[in-house]
Amino acid sequence: MSHETFELIERLRRARTPAAMATLVRTTGTTPRKEGTKMFVGSAGEIFGSVTIGGCVDARVIEQAGEVLRDATPRLLHLDLGDEEAWEIGLTCGGAVDVFLEPMTDGAFELYEHARREWQAGRAVAIATTLNGDGAGSRSLVDTNARTTDDVYVELLRPPSTLVIFGAGAVAMPLVTYAKSLGFRTLLVDGRERYATRERFPDADEIRVGIVSEIVETMEINARTPLVLVAHDAKIDVPVLRQALTTNAPYIGVLGSSRRGAALKQLLREEGVADEQLQRVRVPVGLDIGGGSAAEIALSIIAEVVAVMNGRR
Amino acid sequence: MTAYGSVIHDHSRNPRNYGSLDEPDLRREEVNPLCGDRVRIELAVRDGVVEAARFRGDLCTIAKAATSLLTVAVIGMKIDDVREFPEERLFAALEAEIPRARRQCALLPLQVLRMMT
Repeated sequence: MSHETFELIERLRRARTPAAMATLVRTTGTTPRKEGTKMFVGSAGEIFGSVTIGGCVDARVIEQAGEVLRDATPRLLHLDLGDEEAWEIGLTCGGAVDVFLEPMTDGAFELYEHARREWQAGRAVAIATTLNGDGAGSRSLVDTNARTTDDVYVELLRPPSTLVIFGAGAVAMPLVTYAKSLGFRTLLVDGRERYATRERFPDADEIRVGIVSEIVETMEINARTPLVLVAHDAKIDVPVLRQALTTNAPYIGVLGSSRRGAALKQLLREEGVADEQLQRVRVPVGLDIGGGSAAEIALSIIAEVVAVMNGRR
Repeated sequence: MTAYGSVIHDHSRNPRNYGSLDEPDLRREEVNPLCGDRVRIELAVRDGVVEAARFRGDLCTIAKAATSLLTVAVIGMKIDDVREFPEERLFAALEAEIPRARRQCALLPLQVLRMMT
């Protein structure tokens, strides 16, 4: 589930808008709509948010949503798709999908709000929803080792990736904004109070000011923590890289030319950092999009980060 | 050969007293907002005399060497004398001609020591 879905659920809750939530809980065949895809439909058939399941499935969901809201009763839709219908929603051959359709109750809103808080805090959480029988629609938060059965759909909500940005200069400002809009949690680190301010970085989830080389040693860096160094200052870059290369950070990018990158790597090599580790450092940072402004550089950086996180580079 | 001589090179690459004290008697952290040099110095003091000194920071070559040299120099000194530590003595210890624009780099740790004592 994405941050956009959480935000949509929160908007519906605040507006007290009656809505049915449709979740794609099972598919056969190859599909661009993954299990877990959600769409939200109002009592008059209006669609909330930008996501739909697709084609003929949308029509069935919209048709049934009014009844689900009126009866306050969830239902599991099983749809056998002909070849043409399958093609409409992206299946390469005919198959079947199961869609669980349910009214968003106060209890559901409350549970998703709780899940959202856990998710934003960086903790994985799973929601188990009973699909069949008298308890259909009942759900609970479960630990992530729970198993899926025929009658229970377990929705694993992985926490957002945290993009850590070292250096609060001009490139960092649009970078934080782009990253936030793409669903990253953002953490900005700098040694200068006058640069790393809330006024300059209103979208940053967290700002830490202090001795950067000390802060990085205390951070939890894992496979969902891409790191971007835009301080353009060796006294920051060298100690941060030294620490970063001891972690499994999926992305380590450094602002600077190839020549500067070679110099930084040579300093680390002299400290005993192995070449295979140094190869993880991306410098110059970002995709080559030919831009030179701070916003364009930030765009190239976040594009490369997204590509790496999606396994494309 | 390095740009600022062997003493600065040695102390910046192998800083003395780098780290933290478990229970410092005095501690101060300051930043040069222009260049971003940031340093924290800690002192352990007994009977008015500096018994131990440590520092941590994000520092350029000159600032790191100056901080390292200063922490070595103040151990054993009376705290009142630390406050009066002369700039000339620091620059002499660095054994290099520091350009005017970089003198503040060397002076940052000395200013921190003066503020904390």
